[in-house]
Amino acid sequence: MENINLIYVPMDKIKTTTIGVYIHRQLNKNDVSKNAVLPYVLRRGCKLCPDAEAIAKYLENLYGAQLRAGVVNMGDDQIMRFEAQTIQDKYAAEGEPLTEDLLRLILSVMFEPVTEDGGFKSATVEIEKNNAKDRIASVMNDKRVYAMQRCIEEMCAGENYALPSRGTIEGVDAIDARNLYEYYKSAIASSVIDIYVCGSADETKLRALIDEKTAGMEFEPAKIPETEIHRKSGDVKNVTDRMEVTQGKLSIGFATDITPQSEDAFALTVMNSVFGAGAHSKLFNNVREKLSLAYYASSGAVKAKGMIIMNAGIEFENFQKAYDETLAQLESIQNGEISELEYKSAVSFLVNAYEAMKDSPEQMHQFLSDQRVTGTNYDIDYCKDKLAAVTIDDIVRVSKRVELDTVYFLTGEGE
Amino acid sequence: MELKYKKSAADGEEMFYGTHPSGLDIFIIPKKGYSKSYAIFGTHYGSVDSDFIVPGETEETRVPDGIAHYLEHKMFDQPDNSNVFDKFSRLGANANAFTSFNMTAYLFSATENVKESLAVLLDYVQSPYFTEETVEKERGIIGQEIRMYDDADSWKVFFNLLNCLYKNHPVKKEIAGTIESISHITPELLYRCYNTFYNLSNMAIVVAGDVEPGEILKVIEDGIKKNEPFKEEIKRIYPDEPNELASDYAEQKMSVAMPMFMVGFKDTDTECGGKALLKKSLETQILLKMLFGKSAPLYKQLYDDGLINASFSADHTMQPDYAFSSIEGQSKDPKRVYDMIIAEINRVRSEGLLEEDYVRIKKVLWGEHIRTLNDVENLAGDFLQMHFMGIDYFDYYDVYKSITFEDVQKRFENHFVPERSALSVVNPVE
Repeated sequence: MENINLIYVPMDKIKTTTIGVYIHRQLNKNDVSKNAVLPYVLRRGCKLCPDAEAIAKYLENLYGAQLRAGVVNMGDDQIMRFEAQTIQDKYAAEGEPLTEDLLRLILSVMFEPVTEDGGFKSATVEIEKNNAKDRIASVMNDKRVYAMQRCIEEMCAGENYALPSRGTIEGVDAIDARNLYEYYKSAIASSVIDIYVCGSADETKLRALIDEKTAGMEFEPAKIPETEIHRKSGDVKNVTDRMEVTQGKLSIGFATDITPQSEDAFALTVMNSVFGAGAHSKLFNNVREKLSLAYYASSGAVKAKGMIIMNAGIEFENFQKAYDETLAQLESIQNGEISELEYKSAVSFLVNAYEAMKDSPEQMHQFLSDQRVTGTNYDIDYCKDKLAAVTIDDIVRVSKRVELDTVYFLTGEGE
Repeated sequence: MELKYKKSAADGEEMFYGTHPSGLDIFIIPKKGYSKSYAIFGTHYGSVDSDFIVPGETEETRVPDGIAHYLEHKMFDQPDNSNVFDKFSRLGANANAFTSFNMTAYLFSATENVKESLAVLLDYVQSPYFTEETVEKERGIIGQEIRMYDDADSWKVFFNLLNCLYKNHPVKKEIAGTIESISHITPELLYRCYNTFYNLSNMAIVVAGDVEPGEILKVIEDGIKKNEPFKEEIKRIYPDEPNELASDYAEQKMSVAMPMFMVGFKDTDTECGGKALLKKSLETQILLKMLFGKSAPLYKQLYDDGLINASFSADHTMQPDYAFSSIEGQSKDPKRVYDMIIAEINRVRSEGLLEEDYVRIKKVLWGEHIRTLNDVENLAGDFLQMHFMGIDYFDYYDVYKSITFEDVQKRFENHFVPERSALSVVNPVE
């Protein structure tokens, strides 16, 4: 049972208790679509509440507690996730034990699914397969997100990280009620399962509930999946897609050789902050403010993979200008052109963002699971100190290890 | 000035508040133990306010659509050429601004240097500086913002619905205006709007976080520049809006994977503010969950038939002079979903609502209320928005408690009228 970890983070100042269940699976082509469907099937019914309507009413009686199924890729770790939230017991009219009742439901959803003929209910599986295919197809709806995903997909072609967390149409089609149930039985017994509880709860009682539900179950040894960082291979890739859109979306991927475990990962985070993370950054002040090319122009670091992904929404004909300016801004960092203000702003932006995580249970779950995926086990204050200790020289040094990898452009049909 | 104090026993929230001689309403909400503080300084002025009479004048002023939003962008330019974002960045604060139908707000969050950041916020929002050159520079940036919305399916399906529901009311117009309308914006027009709507008697500030109210008040008092409060109201001119719809159907083709839809019910019980408005809103939210929530019979039917997915949701938007409910989602057959919604409304109109559903759903609303108190940004933002509608958020519990099943039944009869519903669809391009 050491596969299941309960991590309780007391947060008395807020008025809710949040429970996050993270089931860690190695991201690979075989299982990606099963992981993308499974949590949604489980969410449709269990021993405690046999169907979706019963679950809805159960949650409504807990003052509208929420229970969301989902799946996310963090590095090469595909995480099946349940995020649940309830108000604290003391705000209930009669002080009902809301957190415990919510955990009871989650445990039943995870460990006591509804079955028929040695599989899940096939009607449920068919509906959730269709919904999964809708989610896959709908990626194109948000053009900004779509452009960044396409950039990553092209950049990491051939690597597991190119696999979308939502799965693939072919993969989903291959699922049936029986093979998904077989997969479920093996996955639930052989995965690291982290259960985060943020808020106010009686930890001993929660642990007892988990022990009671899992007593007699058999588990196999499990570990957190390992993530390889992305390494640039060969020439710069240039990819253009066409769609009926009015605004072009530019997304540029950069590779580095900096692993999340190395000390330089902190310098890379600050370097990205100088480059494109926020209104203090070079991309905002030059691509947007100076050249008026875009409403948004920013970059984000994918720490687990050692990558930086830039994105901007621009007129079709401004592709070259925006591309040139982005590269010019990277070059200016590499040449050490970082003002005291840019440096200070970049650091304090991050320190502020890390400190603010202490108020948000969702961000706390995210932070803690980030640490799990990268195996770093830092706490927030340690990260703040490390970020504050990064110097301009460190930024310049790591920026020289940032290499152009993939240039993606989503443009209009007629362009 | 002295601040007053109140506390809500039901949810434990407390507040210090008062009106400064300049006319500015001040609200300070202490949140013990929080790392983050948040301040929002807003004016009761949004995209619907393009037609008005300045206090003391008799002539009507008519300005181009999108000007409130343009003004918001231009507030970041300062007379001494300094960059507002630089000042916040230096302090480690995260600054932003937004414009909605009825309000424009400037805000920051910070985990340190809160008082210094608050001084910056007060200073720049009271320092307008518009020149031909700076106004011109913004046209490219806002032009790209408008284009971004042109490609956003959820935005288009929403505004196409509003254009069905409203014949005349300016809520149907896009907040940023159009490339054409913003081409008429000049520094003179921006000053005219600023001098009208940014009078402190039309503004309010809310600060939430682990702060010392006395210290925060001092920063605000020191930061208030000379202001002559208006003695009379700004007269906002809205055209007459009939109960009838402009149209009951809209369709647009976009690059989307599957059709998106939004069904709207126009609310004709308007012209109320304060507690009455809050009560109406809570009743409507209860109804939306009873009719379209995850435990509703209609939801189960639509979901099991594969006509909706998890993106299905319902919402109510309210202001004193307009309001509507909206139900949205993705579907392979939006018209069928619409027909089933109308059939369900007709069924409930003849068979009635179930009291046991009402009792259960009312609990859900309390949970949602408690949740909004968690995050300083949501709390202060919601508080300010309600303040401009004449609602005191601290009245929530009393209003909530006063609602009865009969109120909700009556509200259902008045609001969910099939003739006042419309369907907006975004279909994929072939």
